[in-house]
Amino acid sequence: MRRSTGFFLGLILLAAAGIRAEYTFFSPSGSFAVEVSLENSSLLRLPIYRNAITSLEVSGDYALGGTSAAPGLSPFLFAVSLSRRRLELAVDLAQIIPEQRAVISGFGRGPGGVLYAGTMSDSPGGSGHLIQVRIKEPSLVVLDLGVPVDKEGVFAVASDPGRRAIYGISHPSGKFFAHDLASRTTRVFVETVPSRQTLGFLHGYAVKPEDYLSRRLILDGKGRVFGSLPVSRLFRFDPGNQKVEILPDQIPEVWGRRPLGRVDSWARSADGSLYGGNAGDGQLFRLDPDKAKVENLGKPVMMPRIKGLAFGGDGKLYGVGGASPGYAHLFSFDPKGGGFSDLGNPRFTMVAPGIEQGISWRGFRIGTVAASEDGRFIVLGEEEALSQLMVFPVHP
Amino acid sequence: MRCNIYQSLLLAVLIFTCLGAQPAGITEKNLRFVDYPGFPEAHSTWGSIGYSSVHNKVFIGVTNHSDRVGLFEYDIISEKMRLCGFIPELAHLRDYQWQGKVHSQIVEGPGGAMHFATDGGESREEYLMEHPHGYSGGFFLKWDPATGILSNLGIGMQYESIKDLAVDRTSGRIYAVSYPQAHFLAYDTDKNQLRDLGRMGSDHVPRVMFSDWWGNIYYVDWRQRLIKYEPSAGQLLFAKESLPAFPGTPGEYIVTGVTAYAVDQPGGIIFLVTYGAKMLAFHPSREGFGNVEDLGGIFDGSSEPAWKYYCPNLALGANGKLYYFLGGHGMYAGQGENIVLMEFDTRNRQKRIALTFPLSVISEVTGSDVKDGNGNLYFAGRRSDPKAEQRGESGSSRPFLIIFNPGRSLQ
Repeated sequence: MRRSTGFFLGLILLAAAGIRAEYTFFSPSGSFAVEVSLENSSLLRLPIYRNAITSLEVSGDYALGGTSAAPGLSPFLFAVSLSRRRLELAVDLAQIIPEQRAVISGFGRGPGGVLYAGTMSDSPGGSGHLIQVRIKEPSLVVLDLGVPVDKEGVFAVASDPGRRAIYGISHPSGKFFAHDLASRTTRVFVETVPSRQTLGFLHGYAVKPEDYLSRRLILDGKGRVFGSLPVSRLFRFDPGNQKVEILPDQIPEVWGRRPLGRVDSWARSADGSLYGGNAGDGQLFRLDPDKAKVENLGKPVMMPRIKGLAFGGDGKLYGVGGASPGYAHLFSFDPKGGGFSDLGNPRFTMVAPGIEQGISWRGFRIGTVAASEDGRFIVLGEEEALSQLMVFPVHP
Repeated sequence: MRCNIYQSLLLAVLIFTCLGAQPAGITEKNLRFVDYPGFPEAHSTWGSIGYSSVHNKVFIGVTNHSDRVGLFEYDIISEKMRLCGFIPELAHLRDYQWQGKVHSQIVEGPGGAMHFATDGGESREEYLMEHPHGYSGGFFLKWDPATGILSNLGIGMQYESIKDLAVDRTSGRIYAVSYPQAHFLAYDTDKNQLRDLGRMGSDHVPRVMFSDWWGNIYYVDWRQRLIKYEPSAGQLLFAKESLPAFPGTPGEYIVTGVTAYAVDQPGGIIFLVTYGAKMLAFHPSREGFGNVEDLGGIFDGSSEPAWKYYCPNLALGANGKLYYFLGGHGMYAGQGENIVLMEFDTRNRQKRIALTFPLSVISEVTGSDVKDGNGNLYFAGRRSDPKAEQRGESGSSRPFLIIFNPGRSLQ
């Protein structure tokens, strides 16, 4: 509902006229927003321009986040208790690894609640690191696992707890790497690196590596790794034979906009299918990991991007479509034939010291989506100058 | 422009006021209403009013609250109101760059140029976005009263309205807030450099920015804490504490922040009204934050909670007293649905109802700190009018200019 200089007249008029408002926000019972960022506060909060939640995962009761910062500033790792609905732990990455600006890779899971991520340097040509993040109450422990690809950032990661391996995409070249945690060695593969001809093609569209590299990686049930490479292609890495295979099926495209095609997000369903979001045009697609077949499931909203996907305990896939300069629509997709539901802008209540009465928080720029391990909660991370966490329950 | 209809309406006010046993001192003769010629479908005005000290004129943005926005100029010397033109034609906007209204203040910049910004105005702005029927975004505009040229300074953010702006009168830099995402924008007009300093609000956009006499710009965050942009440092500062609020003020009132202000530069004070119905005296300092003094509520009533009075306007009279029209948007003081003109003596914090108006005379008033050198205060007024076209939730109304001088008759 559109509101002008004071929105209550509208509410009153609508109520009086018995008219239902044209728009309702997604505000399910049990949803809440957690104030993660607030400048100049005595509360534990992340400061301005250092808190865009670009990596997000849930481990036990904690939503763990990795942030991105503005140039010259360092990012944070943080943990929000979902049961206590508050930010409880935060670590300035500069205390562990200096001169890093962002954790944009997403998280990979390790054994015992351990998470892995990668960092991006604050300066061009600087090296990103692999990090291990773990809650060891009352602390958030962040360990530096070293540089996987010299003078390159870590753009995306996934991990295989069984093989004790972290996989990643380096930035800006787009190399695929496999890091063995036991031997602390990294093997680098160049099959995912765009050719000189491809780079020339992409140059014509004025897109940068952060626009065309695979934003996320995922493993299937057999430990194979899937991601994208320019132009609008998918690859599969088999750790058994250590081969990178470029798949014949491509990311669904809108004609003429292939340069924008890449994987924005992934989620694995209970039946083993991989669901991907195309950054370029915002199509949801399903990939059969064995047959390497891609099925275009369509677009949840008109806008591009699907920056996050996660399965809820109800079997539905939840995601966010649309992004800046527009704003996100939360959507669900029912793999059993229910199709898409556009849930619109989420608006949840935020309660914190000083705002005990609660304020409504509306999510515009949502960059990350994660599900709790039991599927009871979907967690949304904002990418703002002052970013907050939004949580809603899923009822199986 | 004096209008017979307004003479009749003011007579109604006189009768209404007498029936209400108002205090003596200020009468309907202290007021004059002026309508907007050449725009029969005019529906409303918002915060869209400002005064040029260089040209001694008042400017008002008037809208049909759909797709037509007129810029009006009131010449204080000749007492003439004239239509400068309609924004799309003046600014050379294309059809797909339609605008719904001017919501921002009209603020004087260097040389007397008047700066303002545009707003989509209706739901199609907020939800259609990238659709062909969607909203391209609000523009920064500059009206030169000397030449009659409206300069288009470009869009603030794609798909976003601009709710309010402030101008550094020395540098000409423009500061603005977007809708619905509440981004704080800083625009260096010399370098054509627009900085998006990020989102500052929750689900509702505080409507008012203001500046101090050093060129610092102020806004509020979702906790109703003052945000200050210091041009010398080129960055935002956040106050540690929230602005005062009544106990029990709901969150949706807190997040809306400041609704009006009036500047008392000799006294070193900027008076603020909050959506939670507080009157505050802010004592700014060149660097950092100054003190905020709680002057109490904007109205002392018994029928409503102290925070539930609505006031999107404020001006400081030459007599040192604050004046504001209370009511609108479903929240009213006194008995029934009336708009009351309040007088607030800042020295002893005494306030009183000066006049009372039925909604058919005044239904809502906007405008902050608009006054001339003769002690005249200017407000953008609306009155309920069933003959006017209904415009969604904004109802049926007609806009007009209110001139008020607490020290002398304007009749």
